[in-house]
Amino acid sequence: MWTSMLLTLATYSYVLYKDTAAFRFAEHSFMATTFAVAVVVAYQTLVSNAFLPIAKGDFSYIIPIVLGLLLYTLPFKRVRWVSRYPLAIIVGVGTGIAIRGAVHAQMVGQVLAAITLPKTPTPMDWFNFFFSLIAFLTSTSYFVFTKEHKGLFKIPTQIGRYMLMLALGSYFGNTILFRMAMLSGRVEELLKVFGIIPWR
Amino acid sequence: MAEVDRRVLYWGIFLVLVVPYLQPLGLPITVQETTKTLYDKIETMGPKNIALFSIAGGVSAWAEIQPSMVAVMRHLVRREVKVVIWGFFTDQDLTVDMVVVSVPELTTKYKYGEDWVYMGYLAGGETAVAQLASDVHAVFKADKYGTPIEKLSLMQRVKSAKDIDLVLTIDTGSYIGYYIRHWNVGKGTPVAEIGIAMQTEWLPYYPANLMAILIGVRGGAEYEKLIGRLGDGTVRMDAISVSHLVVIIVIILANLGYVMTRREKK
Repeated sequence: MWTSMLLTLATYSYVLYKDTAAFRFAEHSFMATTFAVAVVVAYQTLVSNAFLPIAKGDFSYIIPIVLGLLLYTLPFKRVRWVSRYPLAIIVGVGTGIAIRGAVHAQMVGQVLAAITLPKTPTPMDWFNFFFSLIAFLTSTSYFVFTKEHKGLFKIPTQIGRYMLMLALGSYFGNTILFRMAMLSGRVEELLKVFGIIPWR
Repeated sequence: MAEVDRRVLYWGIFLVLVVPYLQPLGLPITVQETTKTLYDKIETMGPKNIALFSIAGGVSAWAEIQPSMVAVMRHLVRREVKVVIWGFFTDQDLTVDMVVVSVPELTTKYKYGEDWVYMGYLAGGETAVAQLASDVHAVFKADKYGTPIEKLSLMQRVKSAKDIDLVLTIDTGSYIGYYIRHWNVGKGTPVAEIGIAMQTEWLPYYPANLMAILIGVRGGAEYEKLIGRLGDGTVRMDAISVSHLVVIIVIILANLGYVMTRREKK
């Protein structure tokens, strides 16, 4: 507990005071520990998911190991072309798997939700329905680049731009809330470690 | 105002956050529908049901997700629901240890292997989630502690997504999307999220694909209120509410300062 608290204070010394040796130490310690844990876990995963099955006679696992090793040709200019094959397999498989449910959940489902009338029609529900429908149509129209945003198309695209700004601003606001929650967690632990508030 | 050292602001926020811990304000917490839905779902579950705890968030997000995780796990244990845990983050062992310490019934009331299991870390992102939806035993050969999956009686009931009655993804990124695409759309399994504040981007999927979402510390505080056992979420909400108020005031002051600076230049 004391180690984590001292490292927390060292990290916060950057914003609360200035760039200090303590901050650099905490920063490098964090990076080193994170990478070390990742390497250990990756090795354990390789052993349990690949080497052990091979040792038991399932030689099909040699293929992904070889493909993984081929990725390490990326830093070397002469043989870099070899890494394109495993990368192509990764991208291809990932895209194919992702698209399977994406069409229904992320396209059809979202369009249906946007045009479905509210089930409990309170005034607030109607306002939400029309606001989201207008936001959906106008922000989508903003991304139509085959037609110039003039004449009849000018006002919807302008409204769409404001809707996008609202959405991005809301997302940025959530990011700030997340950082505040992180800080409050650290403050709470600081107070507990120093015995100012009790542990629960 | 532009000449004020930013360290004054940082110290101000730091000190403002301390006050609610020393003197709790007791601000009221209203329960949102997105949280109540999860509570109602778990209330219908019992010893014959299996819930999946999928950990897709690191220790760095504990401040936000820990209250929700602990409150939901307490509810699951109270209802005697079986629990399967696996995850995709390298530091998830610490998270599981934290949950076990916070919910001691997992070791005192529950029997490992029969009532709950921890299958360990799995690499692979969406491809791993997709494969797990089809065949869990093809992916996991043993649990975290090396026990072969054939010797875990609970895992003999879990072969694919169709054997799981509720997915709870503890999420700081996009794993909820993977579960929606492959578990909910593909297999019809109900999916709920315990997420950080930024996970509101997944609200459009509620309720069609996402049956419930507990957002940040507030979600945890709401769930603690529902299960009748207040904890870290409730305590932390006072501090977070105050910090949000400070941020709003600072944003207003900063914009006023900007407008006044522009007028002076004119």
